[in-house]
Amino acid sequence: MKHKENQTPYIELSGIDKFFGITKALQNVNLGIYAGEVIGLIGPNGAGKSTLMKVLTGVLPPTNGTIKLEGKEVSSYNTKSAKETGIACAYQDLSLCTNLSVFENFAMLNVSHSMMAQPAWRKNARTQAKELLEQYFPGNGIDVSKEVDHLSLADKQVVEICKTLMTDNLKVLILDEPTSALSSDKAHQLHQIVEELSNKGVAVIYISHKLDEISIVADRIVVLRNGQNSGECDAKTVTQDELVTMMGGESREKTAKGEDTSKDKEIMVEINHLSDGLLNDINMVVRKGEILGISGLAGSGQPELLQEIFNARHHIGEETKNGVKINSTIAYVSGDRTKEGVFPLWDIKNNILIANLDRVKGKILIDKKKAAESAQTWYDKLKFRAEGIESNIMSLSGGNQQKALIARGIASEADIIILNDPTAGVDINTKNDIYDLLEEMKDEGKSVILYSTEDAEIEICDRAYIMHDGEITEELIGNDITVSNIVKASFKKVKKEKKEEKHKSVLSQVFSSRLTLPILTMLIIFAANVSFTPNLLSYIGLRMKINSTLPLIFAALGQMFIILCGDCDMGNGYSIGLANVMVGILLTGSPFVGFVGLLIFVAAYAGMAALIHLRSIPAIVVTLGAQFVWYGVALIICPTPGGNCPQWLSSFLKLQTPLIPFSIILAVIVGFLCWYLLNRCRYGMVMRGIGNNPNSVERSGWSFLVAKMVNYGIAGLLVVFAGMAYTSSSNGADANSSANFCMMSIATVILGGCEMSGGVVEPMGVVAAAVAMNLINSLLTAVKVDSNYQTAIIGIILIGVLGFKYIIRRREAAK
Amino acid sequence: MSKVKDIVQKNAFIWPVAGSLILYAATIVVMGRFNVAILSSCAKLCVFAMLLALGQMIVVTSGNGAIDLSQKYILTLAAYASCTFMETNVIFGLLIAIAIGALCGLLSSIINVYLQVPAMITTLATGYLFYSIILVVSSKWSSTPVRSFVNFVNGNILGINMMTLLCIVVAIFLWFLLYRTKYGHHLHAVGQKREAARLAGINVQKTVIIAFVINGALCGLAGALCAAYSGGANQDLGTTYFLPSVAAAFVGGTNAAGGKSSVVGVSIGAFMMTLMSTFLNAANFGVGVQKLIQGIFLVFLLVIAISDATKKK
Repeated sequence: MKHKENQTPYIELSGIDKFFGITKALQNVNLGIYAGEVIGLIGPNGAGKSTLMKVLTGVLPPTNGTIKLEGKEVSSYNTKSAKETGIACAYQDLSLCTNLSVFENFAMLNVSHSMMAQPAWRKNARTQAKELLEQYFPGNGIDVSKEVDHLSLADKQVVEICKTLMTDNLKVLILDEPTSALSSDKAHQLHQIVEELSNKGVAVIYISHKLDEISIVADRIVVLRNGQNSGECDAKTVTQDELVTMMGGESREKTAKGEDTSKDKEIMVEINHLSDGLLNDINMVVRKGEILGISGLAGSGQPELLQEIFNARHHIGEETKNGVKINSTIAYVSGDRTKEGVFPLWDIKNNILIANLDRVKGKILIDKKKAAESAQTWYDKLKFRAEGIESNIMSLSGGNQQKALIARGIASEADIIILNDPTAGVDINTKNDIYDLLEEMKDEGKSVILYSTEDAEIEICDRAYIMHDGEITEELIGNDITVSNIVKASFKKVKKEKKEEKHKSVLSQVFSSRLTLPILTMLIIFAANVSFTPNLLSYIGLRMKINSTLPLIFAALGQMFIILCGDCDMGNGYSIGLANVMVGILLTGSPFVGFVGLLIFVAAYAGMAALIHLRSIPAIVVTLGAQFVWYGVALIICPTPGGNCPQWLSSFLKLQTPLIPFSIILAVIVGFLCWYLLNRCRYGMVMRGIGNNPNSVERSGWSFLVAKMVNYGIAGLLVVFAGMAYTSSSNGADANSSANFCMMSIATVILGGCEMSGGVVEPMGVVAAAVAMNLINSLLTAVKVDSNYQTAIIGIILIGVLGFKYIIRRREAAK
Repeated sequence: MSKVKDIVQKNAFIWPVAGSLILYAATIVVMGRFNVAILSSCAKLCVFAMLLALGQMIVVTSGNGAIDLSQKYILTLAAYASCTFMETNVIFGLLIAIAIGALCGLLSSIINVYLQVPAMITTLATGYLFYSIILVVSSKWSSTPVRSFVNFVNGNILGINMMTLLCIVVAIFLWFLLYRTKYGHHLHAVGQKREAARLAGINVQKTVIIAFVINGALCGLAGALCAAYSGGANQDLGTTYFLPSVAAAFVGGTNAAGGKSSVVGVSIGAFMMTLMSTFLNAANFGVGVQKLIQGIFLVFLLVIAISDATKKK
C-alpha cells in the first residue's frame, strides 16, 4: 500500500547522524515511515542499514537529528519508547529459548503472571500458537509442541517472525534478511503476510540483499550508501540494474594498479574442488606477495572458507582431504574481537606476543627484556593510543584492540595471513593504518587474505574472489576491483539446488528421547537382578529395594533443579546431612522447632541463588563454601550420631498399600510432580528458560533472579525430603554419613538424561536412573563381583553414557 | 582509591595474606602467648593441601569450567604406590608415585578432551575408577612407609622442614613454568578464551592435557609425602585435604572461569587454611562450630575476593 501525497508519516527520522568516534556511520539520513507501506531497504555491506535500524528501535541514540512520531518530535527516544510506539524487529540471531517448545516461547510472552492457574492454559496456548502460525504461514507443518532446538533453521525463522508479530499494537515491523534460510514457498508466504500487515496499516521495513524479492514485496525502495541516502524509487518501475548502479555508484579515489604481475609468483595456497556443508566447489589460489580479497554478501560462506584454509595449518605442503593445500605457516586475525580475538585479562604486550613466544624466548624461559622490546617495537610502529604496552587490552578502543590483533598476526612471522573482517567497527584513521600495514606485508613477500564485509575495502586488493551462496561467482583483478563490479558479482545467481527441509524419522526420534537411556538401563539392570535374586520381585523385596533408593531419588531431583539453571550443587552431600540431623534430632524433639529450622534451611538455599546471581560468583564455589556451613551447623546440632526418626515419618514411609509397594508409588509421584511443575505449569517454562537463554526470559517480562531463587528453593526442599527419607532408612541422625550423595546425585542426574549445561532435564529419567544406580550395587553383589569394583563400574557407566551421547550428537551433526 | 583496587587486583595473594594475619593474631590471642612455632608447624602441615591446590589451580586455569574432583583419590592411590615401590628404592618409589598421578591426570584429560565430557563429570567418573583401584590395591600393597623416607620428610634443614622446602621448590618451579615459559602463556590464553587461543595457533587440546598431567603429578607427589608423614596410607587418606585445597585455590586468586592464576596466592591460601584449623583447635571450639566458622569465613573471603576480580570485566 502506497502512502498518499499529503499523509503525515507515522514515524519520521530526519537529519540523522550517527558517529562512532571519528567514524561516520550515518550522515544526514532521512527516513519517513508511513502507516501501511512496505519499504525495501537496500545498500551494500557497511552502508549503515543496521545502524539505522538500531536508531529506529532505540538501541542507539543518534548523534544528531530528530525523531518525529505522528508529526510531533520525541525528545528522549529509547528501546522502551520504541516498544510503546509499536516497533518490533525480527532478529537474525534468534531470540528464542531453544529448549522450550514453540508454543511455550509464545506463551511466555503473553501468559498471565498471576498465581492462579487458568485451567487448560497449555491447550489454549497451543491452539493459539497453532492459529498464529497457521494464520501467517498456512500449511507450515510446524509442530508447536516441538522444542525449538529440534526445528530446522527455516522453521526457527518462521517462529521468530511470528513471535515478533505478537507484539502488542504492532505499527512498524522490521524484517532483517528474513528469507535467508527460508525456502521459496515460505518466502512467498512471508510476502503475503507483509501484504496483509500493510493492508491492516502496519508499516514494514524489509531489509534484503535479494533484489528480485525486494521489487516484489516493497512499495518503495530506499537505498543507502556510505551512511547516506543514495536515492529512493518506486519498487514497481525500477529495474535491478538501476538498483545496482544506485548502490555501487562511483568508487573512491584509489591508486592505479599496475598490470597483474603476480601470475608467475609462487603459489602459497591452492584449493581444488572444496565442498562442505556450506561451500560448493571452491577453486582458488593465493600467491606470494599479493593481497587477495574475498567478498560478496555476508553469509555466503566466506568465514567458513577462511576456517578451511586455517585448518590446514597442521599439514603444510600436503593436500588435505578437502582439497586445501597450503605451502607455509599461517596466521589468523579475527575481526570479532570479543568472541575470538583478544585475551581480556592481559595487557597489550602479552596479547601481541602470544602467537610467537619462540622469538622472545631464551632456551626455556621467556626473556622479559626481549619481550618488552619486541612489544614496544610493535607498539611504536602501530601508533597505539594507550598508556603503554602494559595497559590492559580492554581499556583500549576497538580500533586499538584490532591493532594489537593484527600485530599478533604479523609478529607470528607466518607467511600467509588471514584477516577476517579486520576493520569492523574501526575508525577511519586506524583503517588507513591497517591498509598501510597490509601493503607493507605484501612488499615483504607475504600473502594476505582479506575478507571484508565492507565492499569499498576490497579495492585495496590486488585480486579478489566474490562469493555468493557458498560459491565463487567471479574473480576480479587489479583495476577491475570496484565497488560496482563487486556489487554486480555479489548478486550473480548461482545454480544450486533448493534448500531442503529435512524431517527426522520416527525411529530416530524414539531413539533420541532422553527417557530411553535411563529407563532402558534401569530395566536391564532390574531384569539382571531378578534373574539372580527372584525374591526381588516380591512385594517385600521391591519395597525394601525402592525404600533404600528414596534418599537418592530426592537428592538427585534436588541436584536436577540446580543443574537446570546451568549450575551445580557441590555441597548437597553435607546439606542432606544437615537435613538428616534436623529431622532426626530437632523434628523428633520438637516438631515446631524442627519445622522452622527446615524452613530456614530452604530459605538459605534460595539465598545462595541470590548470592550467586547478584555478586556473580560461580555456583560451584559458593556451594563448596556453603558445605562447611551445612556441616558445621549439623555437627553443632548433633556432634555424635544419634537421634531417631519421628514416628509419623517412618510410619508414613512404611505405609502398606495393596499390590504396589508405597515407596514405588511415592517415587513415581515425586518424579511426576517435578515433571508436572516443570513441563505443565506456567512458571515451569520460566524455570527451564533461564538455563537456556536468560535474556529471552527477561525480555518476555520475567525476573531471572526470582526464577533462579525458585529453582534453588525447590532444590532445598527436595534436599529436606532426601534428609527425611535418609533419616527413616537409617533411623538416626549422623552429620557425616551422607557425604556420598553429592557425587552420586550428579552422576544420577547425568545418567537420567539431563544436560550439564542447563535448561534440559528429565525428572522421570532421573528417578529411573536413581533406581538403576542403586540396583547396580546389588547386582554386582549378586554376580559376586568384588565390592571393590562397584564404584569403578559406576564410573565406567557414566563415561560410557556420556561418550555414547557425544558420538550420537556428532553423527547427527554430520548428517 | 582506584590505585588501591588495582594493586589488590594484580596481587591476588593479598587476601590470603590478610586472612593469615588475622588468623595468626586470633590464634595468639586465644593461646594467650606469642608463639612463632605455630607458623613453622603450619608450613609443614599445609604442604599436602598446597600441592593439591596448586594442581587444582592449573586445571581451573585451563578454563571452560574445568575442575578436578578426583584429586583425593589420586593422592591416596599414589600413597599406596609410594609405600610399595619405595621398598625397592626410595627414589624409584617416589617417581612411580608421581608417574601414577600423572597417568591418572592423562586418563581424565583424554576423556575430557576427546569425548568432550565436561571436566567435572569426567573427574567424578575417573575418581570412582581410581577409588576402586585403591580398594583393590589396599589389600595387596604395602601401606607402611619406608623408614628412610619418613626420616627424610620429618627432617629439617636450618630449622625448616624438608617437606616445606620441597614444596617451596615445587612452587618456584611452577611459578617459572606458568609465568615465564611458553606453556604458561599458552595455558592462560586457553583459559581465557579457547577459540581465540585456537586462532592464535595454540594447540588447545595439548595444552589442556598437559595441565591435567601436571595436576596429577602434583597429587602423586602429595600422596608420597602424605603417606610418609601420616605413618602410612589408608583408603581415605586424601579426603581431609580435598576441601581445604579447593578453597585455597579459589581464595588464592584462581579465576573460576579460567585464565588467571597465582602460585604465590594459592600457596599462601593453603597456608591460611591450615592456620585456620590450628586457630580453631587452639580456641577449643567444638567441631561443629569450627566448621561453621570455617565456612562463614571462607564464603565471606570468596565473596570479596572473587566478585572484586569479576566486577571490572
